[in-house]
Amino acid sequence: MSTTPTIILIKDTRLAGVDTTRDVQNVFEKCLKEAGIESHVQAVRAADMGVYERGVVVKLLPQNVFYGNVKDEDVSLIVNKTLKKGELVEHLALRNLPSQVRVVLRNCGVINPESMEEYIQEKGYEGLRKCLLHLTPAQVIDEMKKSGLRGRGGAGFPTWMKWNLARSSVAEQKYVICNGDEGDPGAYMDRSVLEGDPHSVIEGMIIAGYAIGASKGFFYIRAEYPLAVERIHLAIKQAYEGGFLGQNILGTKFSFDLDVRLGAGAFVCGEETALMASIEGKRGTPRPRPPFPTQAGLWEKPTIINNVETLANVPVIFQRGGDWFSAIGTEKSKGTKVFAITGKVKNSGLVEIPMGITMREIVYGIGGGAADGKKVLAVQTGGPSGGVIPESHFDTPVSYEHLQELGSIMGSGGMIVMDEDDCMIDIVKFYLGFCVEESCGKCAPCRIGGYQMLKLLEKISEGNGTDQDVASIKRIAKAMQKASLCALGQTAPNPVLSTLRYFEDEYKQHIGDKKCRAGKCGKLLQYRIMPDKCKKCRLCQLKCPSNAVVGDKEKGYEVVQAKCVKCGVCYEVCKFEAVERI
Amino acid sequence: MNKSAKEGRGHPADDGRGVIKVGMSSCGIAAGAGEVFEALTKEAKGRGLNLEIKKCGCVGSCYAEPLVEVRLPCLPTVLYSRVNKEIALRILDEHIVNKRLLNDLIIDLPMKR
Repeated sequence: MSTTPTIILIKDTRLAGVDTTRDVQNVFEKCLKEAGIESHVQAVRAADMGVYERGVVVKLLPQNVFYGNVKDEDVSLIVNKTLKKGELVEHLALRNLPSQVRVVLRNCGVINPESMEEYIQEKGYEGLRKCLLHLTPAQVIDEMKKSGLRGRGGAGFPTWMKWNLARSSVAEQKYVICNGDEGDPGAYMDRSVLEGDPHSVIEGMIIAGYAIGASKGFFYIRAEYPLAVERIHLAIKQAYEGGFLGQNILGTKFSFDLDVRLGAGAFVCGEETALMASIEGKRGTPRPRPPFPTQAGLWEKPTIINNVETLANVPVIFQRGGDWFSAIGTEKSKGTKVFAITGKVKNSGLVEIPMGITMREIVYGIGGGAADGKKVLAVQTGGPSGGVIPESHFDTPVSYEHLQELGSIMGSGGMIVMDEDDCMIDIVKFYLGFCVEESCGKCAPCRIGGYQMLKLLEKISEGNGTDQDVASIKRIAKAMQKASLCALGQTAPNPVLSTLRYFEDEYKQHIGDKKCRAGKCGKLLQYRIMPDKCKKCRLCQLKCPSNAVVGDKEKGYEVVQAKCVKCGVCYEVCKFEAVERI
Repeated sequence: MNKSAKEGRGHPADDGRGVIKVGMSSCGIAAGAGEVFEALTKEAKGRGLNLEIKKCGCVGSCYAEPLVEVRLPCLPTVLYSRVNKEIALRILDEHIVNKRLLNDLIIDLPMKR
């Protein structure tokens, strides 16, 4: 037995039934006493062990032994075998659990983000040292190629290729930009990295600068992230003081300066050409490519724009080698990906998983399934540019290629879980509404197409849709995809198209039956008072804003459909569940 | 080289001094980590405890914020979830002083670094 006292974490992970955690804890305590080691071992009830539906789960620390489906009679076995003799109880051991792998988030929650010393203790700036002192820029790019890292901002363009293009462009001045204009609804991993580990992004940028021959870099961060901006400013100051930024870095001939620019909150400024326009002080609108930024970018100079998460991967690649990195993930999608998993899921937050594990493992294994024990219907990935993946496709591995095959995209990594209470038309209206709101208006397909498509969706959700409308939506979608100037317009129809692909029935229900399964499309609902449940308290009548509830204490009450504005107040206020929504 | 920080969760601190880390990214602060940090700093001083109390970023379990990691030389390191001012004081009295871990608050997620 080790000299450190052991703690036994216990948790009943069954979602249904009586929680037996406390009983197992009692059995453990009794057993530890009998074995005479109660002063050395503590049995503690845990709040969450990150595994679900594995019966009673027990974890021994510091031994790091994990047991599942533990019954009362197994307790003495664990105490006598594992605790006293250090042997594993084979049939209880939990192996191959869906586990997070922390590469990008390696320091998040571990180090103090306001201390450069702690970053250096965690091998920070070692990758930069290796690049500057031992590798030529061409070798740096070779190592990046070996790693197979692809852009984490959405499109998944190979990072080494982007760097190589910029390197081969000849110019006196080149630039590196970190795109921290994270705007997808539900995605916030970039914020977390900037707030939790700012130096790793800075290190990534300096290495990128060295590789392409740039002497100047810009952080473009949205102003809505004040803490991230504050910590980046502090980290840049520390990096200058530590000799990692400025003239002759680490005694070499390489010099690099970093500055911060704040985005004012326009979604389109996350698009690279609009972002550069914004840094230049112009109106943030995209321009046609080519020329690509690697040829003529910021102030017409060769520029690379990498996402926060991409850059945070770079220092690790040089610390541990491109081969180490490429061993994680699938054939074409290397490394890990951070997802912000939100919506109707039990454990919302950030998860970092190796590429290639399934959506099911993420949603159920790590996310813990739907909150409130409901059924998960689908997951939306990639924000307004992505699509909806139905539950039936959850066994698909998560990688750039597989998500694209399903009609969605990896995107920046937002993952919104939807359950049976969500209406697909309603969700799509939200995403498309977002794109219409954020469209810069420069090109007609995006400005007009998005608006018209939204009008058609609204028409369907109000029960006035026809089959012709669906055909029109498809036609507009195609035009937007083909003719929009930038990715915002090109990808805006994706949520619509993917729901048409997987949830066509819902469109048919709204159009043909004038029904909304989830009860989200207010105009399609009818409120009715059930006479057998009604206690005639009159609350609904008092609260109804349009005097649609008529009747009296003798005869009972009813909703006059012609007057009803479908606000749902009667449904919400009724204490006896006597109002039904159909 | 700070070895304790490298070894990760589940292992004890090895430099003799206890460390408490409070997740202070936007998500933690929104859930009340600022108050927890203040209470821990003030009360640890008031109790004369030799502790290092510091900020860290978000470990990712945003649903369980504020998160507080406790690393003592004599016990495996654990992470407490949904900590408020009151729980923070219990951590000081029960975990730090009496070396008894608190029930129903620890989260421990499978994670490779």
